[in-house]
Amino acid sequence: MTPEDLRFLLVGAGLFILGAIGFLTRRNLILMVLSAELMMHGVSMTLVTFGRIHQTQEGQIFTIFTLTVAACEAGLALALVLSLYRKSHSLDINLWSELREPDMPAPVQDAPARIDDGSGSYGDTPKLTPAGIAPKDPPRTKSSAGASSART
Amino acid sequence: MSEEIQQLVLWLIPVAPLASAVITALLGPKLLRYKSHLPCWSALAVSFVCSLILLLKILPSMGSAAVDPGEIGTFAGPQILVSGYEWLNVGDLHANIELRADSITAIMLSMVTGVSLLVAMFGSGYMSHDLGYPRFFAAVSMFVFSMCMLVLSGSFALLFVFWEAVGLCSYLLIGFWFQKPSAAAAAKKAFVVNRIGDFGLIMGIFLIWTNFGSLDFVTVLSDSARIAAVEVKNPGVIQLICFCLFLGAMGKSAQFPLQVWLPDAMEGPTPVSALIHAATMVTAGVYLVARCTPLFVMAPNAQLAVSAIGAATAAIAALTALTQMDLKRVLAYSTVSQLGFMFMALGCGAASAELVTPAVTAGMFHLFTHAFFKALLFLAAGSVMHAMGDVIDMRRFSGLKHALPITHWTFLVGAAALAGVPLLAGFWSKDDILAVLAEASRSKEHGLFFGVIWAVATGTAFLTAFYTFRAYFMTFCGPEKFPEEAGHHPHEATPIMAWPLRILAVCAALIGLAVGPTHLFANYLQKTMGLTPVPPESQHLHWGVMALSSVVAIAGIGLAWMFYVASPKVPGAIASAMKPLYLISQGKFFLDEILKALVVLPLVGIAKLATVFDRGVIDCIVDSIGAIPKALSSIPRQFHTGVVSSYAGFMWAGVVAAVVLVLTMF
Repeated sequence: MTPEDLRFLLVGAGLFILGAIGFLTRRNLILMVLSAELMMHGVSMTLVTFGRIHQTQEGQIFTIFTLTVAACEAGLALALVLSLYRKSHSLDINLWSELREPDMPAPVQDAPARIDDGSGSYGDTPKLTPAGIAPKDPPRTKSSAGASSART
Repeated sequence: MSEEIQQLVLWLIPVAPLASAVITALLGPKLLRYKSHLPCWSALAVSFVCSLILLLKILPSMGSAAVDPGEIGTFAGPQILVSGYEWLNVGDLHANIELRADSITAIMLSMVTGVSLLVAMFGSGYMSHDLGYPRFFAAVSMFVFSMCMLVLSGSFALLFVFWEAVGLCSYLLIGFWFQKPSAAAAAKKAFVVNRIGDFGLIMGIFLIWTNFGSLDFVTVLSDSARIAAVEVKNPGVIQLICFCLFLGAMGKSAQFPLQVWLPDAMEGPTPVSALIHAATMVTAGVYLVARCTPLFVMAPNAQLAVSAIGAATAAIAALTALTQMDLKRVLAYSTVSQLGFMFMALGCGAASAELVTPAVTAGMFHLFTHAFFKALLFLAAGSVMHAMGDVIDMRRFSGLKHALPITHWTFLVGAAALAGVPLLAGFWSKDDILAVLAEASRSKEHGLFFGVIWAVATGTAFLTAFYTFRAYFMTFCGPEKFPEEAGHHPHEATPIMAWPLRILAVCAALIGLAVGPTHLFANYLQKTMGLTPVPPESQHLHWGVMALSSVVAIAGIGLAWMFYVASPKVPGAIASAMKPLYLISQGKFFLDEILKALVVLPLVGIAKLATVFDRGVIDCIVDSIGAIPKALSSIPRQFHTGVVSSYAGFMWAGVVAAVVLVLTMF
């Protein structure tokens, strides 16, 4: 194993860890799907690296397959997210907590986000709530600015 | 007649009603509807014809071969056995579906199927507007099938099965109008009271099994030496068996104190009452005791009990009937009373061994004649009810003589036969019973006992004549009066209802004369297994008893005429003068109330106690066992928060743990 391989492995592990942290901490459905993708690609990275270390084809072949499946799975996941959104008008995962024990308290939830403000530009489609620092330049639409300020 | 044809005839007797029951039950509600009586009629007609063939052709033809009068001990009489298939085969117990017919069976079968056929004909008129028309005929067919099998069964096991089947059918028919709470309650009562008797019967059957090692009638009953051997081995056991069997008979034949169900059974449609009271059901108990005569002969105490219970029942029922205002109830109590007469006669064998056969003959003869005139009376009462718009209270109508002429004269014939007016059916059979009782009272050992019974019987005969004609006079004589329910013009029975009445009236009038004094009945019946044929020279008519019973009957009728026609104020005056006695009779001796206090209320108390135990102890134990998993799960339950991230976290931790485990192990 060359130092180069070690770096590749570290990158894969880093991707996986980051994805896992994102998956465990985020409550936004789309971000969670993205985090899961990140974890998977960390694993793919590792697989390719192992193929390189052992000088075999399996790692790469496996990764090609994984990518194909991941594409399908991403489509499926986003479709599910969309239909969940249509039901609750929110991307908050905590709205879906019926599986808890009946006497457990309900988890903290966001209020359903009102995306459709009458402009008609977004319709009934989900969108990522802005996160991080708000951009300096003026917002493109009124609604995204409103959502950004409402975000806690 | 070849053997195959004989077997076919014998099979047809029960199978025809069974087929009719199945056909009517399956096709009746959708297909046959108001033609549902057709299968029932044809099946009963087939059964009746086959029974007559059996009675008149088959059994007499085999009489000479099978009778072996030389050996009294092993007398089995002419009989025909047809085996079907083996139904139970457990250890030594082989219960076959097997038909066995002898003289008593043939007589019972002809009577049952004949009367049932007439009742079914009447029923199709009586029930013509009822929604449950197919159900009625299915149940009636089933009832007749059960009764035929009961008398045709060749072993106690099969007898018990159909004994229960008769009880079930009576439940279905008494509760025919199950929408009425009173009918449902009456059906339940009949069923439950019969269970008490059935308990006795099955105990008796168990005892017979353990002591005789067989349940076959021929094995158990035909050999008196064997019965004596059993008695020697286990002294008192035969007596116990007889008491148990008699308890069964008491339930089915409504003997004191289990007679409470029979008057309540009036809640069923009137043809059903006629069926239960005349042909099927109540005669089963008398039949059982008559059938088991060889056992009862060995147990004089049981016979005395049979007579005593019979006398008590007859007297109590007759006294109750005096004051009932419901026409059908008067008839119901008269049935109970007449059944008491039959049992009185059946117990007479205790007086002396020569009396056994005449005693059983008298009892069975009364059963036979009673079937005709009681069916007639009930059907006539049904016709009255039909015309009066289902009103049966005798205070609400009177003077129906002119409105219902056919019903009137047929009822009159039936009432006269029941009262024992000379030359009618009831006269001959009641006279037989009184004669046997008089004979028994001359015995040394139990003379006084049977003297008392005889006196009770004579008194009851007087009461019978009185209350029967009280009902007749109240219903048909006096000023013409109809209840509002009848409409303006009460209609006489339709032809389909009138013809059975006419036929039964002729039977009730003539059948006693035809077979009684000519000894046809006695000679035929005495070929039954367990009975000893009485030589012709010792058969004679009892002129003295006849004269007395005629006087008693005429006196009873005369008194009824005096009270209810000549001076109608007298009964009321007597009733108010003897208020307590009147109330006791009116309240049916408060037997229902007494039984309720003695049996029902303690049972309810026990049930309440059991409820407390069930709730407090058993439920408590079960619930605490159920609480264990709940307690154990209280900690892991905390993790099920419904937050996806926390589930994912646990998964992650699990994966990490698995990886660490794998790494440390290898």
